[in-house]
Amino acid sequence: MNTIHVNINNIEIPTTADKTILDVCREHKIDIPTMCHLKGLSDVGACRLCIVEIEGMNKLQSACTTKVADHMIIQTNTDRIKKYRRITTELFFAERNHVCSVCVANGKCELQNLGYQVEMDHVRYPFLFPQCEVDTSHPWYVMDHNRCIMCTRCVRVCQEVEGAHNWDVMNRGHAVRIISDFNTPWGESTTCTSCGKCLHACPTGAIWPKAIVQGQLEKKPEIIEELIEKRKMHDGF
Amino acid sequence: MNNTLSTTDPRTKLISSKLKKEAYKADALIEVLHTAQNIYGYLPIPVLAYISKSLHLPPSRVYATVSFYHFFSLKPKGEHTCLVCTGTACYVKGAQQILEKIEQVFHLKPGETSKDNKLGIQVARCVGACGLAPVVVLDDEVQGNIVSEEFTQTMKEKMGLL
Repeated sequence: MNTIHVNINNIEIPTTADKTILDVCREHKIDIPTMCHLKGLSDVGACRLCIVEIEGMNKLQSACTTKVADHMIIQTNTDRIKKYRRITTELFFAERNHVCSVCVANGKCELQNLGYQVEMDHVRYPFLFPQCEVDTSHPWYVMDHNRCIMCTRCVRVCQEVEGAHNWDVMNRGHAVRIISDFNTPWGESTTCTSCGKCLHACPTGAIWPKAIVQGQLEKKPEIIEELIEKRKMHDGF
Repeated sequence: MNNTLSTTDPRTKLISSKLKKEAYKADALIEVLHTAQNIYGYLPIPVLAYISKSLHLPPSRVYATVSFYHFFSLKPKGEHTCLVCTGTACYVKGAQQILEKIEQVFHLKPGETSKDNKLGIQVARCVGACGLAPVVVLDDEVQGNIVSEEFTQTMKEKMGLL
């Protein structure tokens, strides 16, 4: 594939046209925060954290779903972007009931780290305090909708990697929820293989194994990418 | 939960013939759901289970589709349906007053169905007849330029209450 040149944060970078802006930035250690992106899974551009400015475009574009093009001039960390990232982060916290101090993921949570990263000291929006269920029907795992940020990483990992498609998203707007089968308890699912990939894909403490106490959660999101790589190797033989 | 459909039920046959007509293609999901809702008036879970199995679609994908579109209903809609348009034009022309009047007379809020399953109230954002605002679709019949007092009378007549 032909080499093209893009300009990211005033640095000329040679790359190829099949990559997204996010791919190129990650390769060159340019920091872009993400939530819904997980290496190996398809990108949906849902979290709006990876927004970048592209010269000649009025709207901000999500880096994970925009492919690079020759002579593209990109800014990843302007004041405008920082402002929006902070707003987005605050809205994440305002949308559900996130209480870090009692959460299993405390200290290892991607959402918590994002809060530190964008220097969120308080939330300027009224909290919604929605009534959310905690589904403990599965023998090994718990799904806590209070901590869900609707990144849909669990949905995609279940569909694309495990192939079970136990999860999906119901309703729209404020009423959106992750569902298992026909909005039935997880433990009664006919499609779930109990593989636990959704647990590793989840960026927060929304899906976690039972018998774990506050702050003790260990997640390995990188395991998903490794799995995909290993399967490719297997296909090669 | 009993997730099997009776094979002797003529409604099951109607759905299976639709499935066959669509060649069991997964992308015919919405078409099949339309048919099913026409037959049953709403979408019971056993019907969704049957459709998801026939089209080889995950149950959660089918449920997600049904819950996303306001057209589909998981609850019985009632013998008579009254759909009040709350689009911009109808709203300006007093859709809210119509809903209030309906609540006053029938004690039903949008999305609710009466206990005897006689009447269901729904709202929609624009039915595409803005020139007739405010619009109500009563039993699939579009009625325009509604005056709320007269309209509740019409509803009562339709339902055989007068």
